[in-house]
Amino acid sequence: MIPIKKGFEADIDYNYQRMYVSGMMQLISHMLKAGSQVDDVIKTEVADMPEGFVFRMCVMPGELSLTMQKQDGALINLTNYTDKPDLTMSFKHVTFAFLVFSFQEHTAQAYANERLVIDGDLPMSMKVVRCLNRLQTVILPKVVAKKAVKTYPDLEFIQKIQMTTKTYSQFLLNLVKER
Amino acid sequence: MANEYYEFFCPVKMVAGFKALEHIPFELSSHDASRPLIITDRGVRGVGLVDIVIKALEAADMQATDIFDDVPPDSSMITVAAIAALYREKECDSILAIGGGSVIDTAKGVNILVSEGGDDLRAYSGTGVVKRPLNPFFVIPTTAGTGSETTNVSVIKDDKTGAKVPFVSPFLLPDAAILDPRMTLSLPPKITAATGMDALTHAVESFTGLAKNPISDAYATAAMKKITTHLPEVLKNPSDAAGRLQLAEASTMAGIAFSNSMVGMVHSLGHSVGAKCHVPHGLCMSILMPHVLEFNLPVSSENIGELLLHIAGSDVYASTPVAERPAKAIATIIALKEEMYALCELPRKLSETGSVKESDLEGIARMALDDGSMLLNPIDATFEQALAVLKKAF
Repeated sequence: MIPIKKGFEADIDYNYQRMYVSGMMQLISHMLKAGSQVDDVIKTEVADMPEGFVFRMCVMPGELSLTMQKQDGALINLTNYTDKPDLTMSFKHVTFAFLVFSFQEHTAQAYANERLVIDGDLPMSMKVVRCLNRLQTVILPKVVAKKAVKTYPDLEFIQKIQMTTKTYSQFLLNLVKER
Repeated sequence: MANEYYEFFCPVKMVAGFKALEHIPFELSSHDASRPLIITDRGVRGVGLVDIVIKALEAADMQATDIFDDVPPDSSMITVAAIAALYREKECDSILAIGGGSVIDTAKGVNILVSEGGDDLRAYSGTGVVKRPLNPFFVIPTTAGTGSETTNVSVIKDDKTGAKVPFVSPFLLPDAAILDPRMTLSLPPKITAATGMDALTHAVESFTGLAKNPISDAYATAAMKKITTHLPEVLKNPSDAAGRLQLAEASTMAGIAFSNSMVGMVHSLGHSVGAKCHVPHGLCMSILMPHVLEFNLPVSSENIGELLLHIAGSDVYASTPVAERPAKAIATIIALKEEMYALCELPRKLSETGSVKESDLEGIARMALDDGSMLLNPIDATFEQALAVLKKAF
């Protein structure tokens, strides 16, 4: 694997970073939806969110965003949601979102580095971050996931393969259903 | 290791030292203010601290336009609205907050309403909603612990829902913090010890957390040295005004540090112990700090080892092998806790508080995982790990 070197994003045109972040937001929102349907850890976190809870992750001023809502116990993607979400996590610049979505910096480090503004229900933000961490732990190879999350959990190889398979399968099934 | 990027912000003027209160009239007039409203609580007024400020004002031909002395222990929106109405009725032009964390948070909320207009504070909740300078605002802390005089946050209870609502903006910061040893001289030993340990925790978590930076480190380390040097001395001699001033300065410096670097799991667990069992915040910090440092050792041993220099001094640091410094730093904090217990019976364990039962621990651990300060702890704790830390502290 090519070693990930922090700072290489400086050589990538902002337009390409924007395209990459946009694609990753789409992918993550669909994977998170699938995870909330099949992964026990994500299901537990989502169960504690109030029904109808809406959170958004966006790049300021808001052109790039993913918005999700808890409906019937699982997460769904929202498009064209115009009200103020219960929780908004905003990257101050597209390049900071790129750092996170290219797994060079985990969400907590982005917050520590003042790249991310959290507005709204703070306890819920912890649940959302744990959902994202779990998702990245499950769907990414371990060597990449260790960069993407602050603390890589104890997860047996077999367990990880099982969860990865279940999450990707549900993701594909959802795509088929949506078409 | 420091972060590759950081931000640091503290525009609060420090007016600190002996006779600092006598500088208030000049500070008011330099902000073109002459009709201050004093916001305080009954306890602070009852021990005569407000009178000291009023006399200092009167000697300069200035007086408080009115005094609101009924701030509750938990800041509430109803109280904020009532004080804002009083401010408008009496045509005040500035605020003097005299008190601890609740008074200061309440005063920040009042300043939002009287500067921005309206009666519903909810309209300004969240991050960055207040976007312009507010009316002249001065804080006179009466405890040496919270550091609220240097934070850009106010947390105020919504009386309708019971939720604690955060307000975050750089414009919430006061124009000046006035640190005068007379304001903390009458603090009872146990509160002095608990608030001092609170300030020490701010410094320690700021220095060992994910958002540490070189400037906040400088404030944090100086605060640690002042607290570990002067807290036992002040407890032995409560009328030691010079020592009290050192603690007040340390508290503010630790406040500057943590308002730029945030805090971690000691606060996550402590907030939850406070919310579930009503144990005073500083006491929770004192009890939990060494146990959380032990938990964080696997990824923070270098930073924890460096604490030793600032809490035990250069001789101890130099004579301790590098590999043993982290454990020695934790042992030094445990020894300080024991000293606090010997001097004023500050509880060392959750069980000694008389308010926490072992059966409460699971609920506390679960609640702590959702506390925002967990985000910047060096390790993400699971429920089982948080519970294990609490059991050790019990």
